[in-house]
Amino acid sequence: MSLKSNVIGALILAGCASLYGCAGQHSEAALQQAGADFQKVKEDSNVLRIAPKDVIRAGESLARADRLSTYWGSGSDVVHYAYLSQRYSEIAREHTTQALNEERAAKLELERQRLQLALRESKLLSVQQQGKWLEEQIVALATTQTDRGLVMTLGDVLFDTGEAELKNSANRVVLKIVQFLQLNPKRVVRIEGYTDSTGGKQENLKLSRDRAQAVADVLMDLGIEDKRIQVEGYGDEYPVDANASERGRAQNRRVEIVFSDEKGQLGAAR
Amino acid sequence: MAVLALAGCASDPAPNEQFRLTEQALEQAKAVGATADEVPEMKLAEGKFNRAKGNMADQSFKNARMRAEQAELDARLAEAKVLTQKSEEQVNVLNTRIVRLRKQLGDAQ
Repeated sequence: MSLKSNVIGALILAGCASLYGCAGQHSEAALQQAGADFQKVKEDSNVLRIAPKDVIRAGESLARADRLSTYWGSGSDVVHYAYLSQRYSEIAREHTTQALNEERAAKLELERQRLQLALRESKLLSVQQQGKWLEEQIVALATTQTDRGLVMTLGDVLFDTGEAELKNSANRVVLKIVQFLQLNPKRVVRIEGYTDSTGGKQENLKLSRDRAQAVADVLMDLGIEDKRIQVEGYGDEYPVDANASERGRAQNRRVEIVFSDEKGQLGAAR
Repeated sequence: MAVLALAGCASDPAPNEQFRLTEQALEQAKAVGATADEVPEMKLAEGKFNRAKGNMADQSFKNARMRAEQAELDARLAEAKVLTQKSEEQVNVLNTRIVRLRKQLGDAQ
């Protein structure tokens, strides 16, 4: 359907309408509208690329309406085929918009994936930096870097005398340990309890074990798997200071947390 | 004109094939979620096809065919509009996500 035939059709229609009134004003308007719609889709290179079949059908229907408009008494047929032509033009436009949206969405999806990857990398980097920072904190908290590995000592102020329950003042350091273990999923710990020499051997052994277990329980409650935690009680053995003075005894009442290396290798128990 | 119309009726066969096409187009439009309540073209399609069925029953085959043809294209347009809308929504969702990602990346750096 060329522009030329379109014009000729319109001329014929106009002539026909004025001479016989065959197509009528209604059908003439429908034909013109369909022609205008078809013209628009036909000139749109995207529509031609994406929905050529619909454009062809719009043209065919329009040509038919055009042809019928030259016959007497065909008004309703003209309107019908003009209607079909308009519909095909509209469908062509919709299909085109849809396809263009899909092309756009495909590009956006690639962009989204690229950004997601970048975000993951940046988050990972920040976690690594955070892990490094925490590690420095833990190392700073741990007073002894002995042949047993990295050892952190929780002093006896974290427990009431004779009690195995961990006081709230221990929360801060416990949370740091949990975070550290979460950021270093291969590391494991051994929690060792110690007492001073006051009291009976058996009681001290039990108290030291209970206190170490209390720390282990809190770690587990906060999400560290139990298989990453060993618990030992040594009673009054391995004192770090003389039991003669109160100060020395206070030093000896403690819980020590021995960290493995990054690969999970833990020094042997005493 | 009456004579021509009558002649037209007489020469038109029952538009069974067109009815099949229209039904198919309506089904497809429904399958993508086009409803008469939400898509005006779907309402048109259903209304016209119902009238086409009435014409068929009255043996008014030409009217039946024309209405069924229009109903078919109304349904196809309804389907296309729903799909276009869905593709627009998809683009919007992706744009929103990208904005969010960019913001997070900006915050992270």
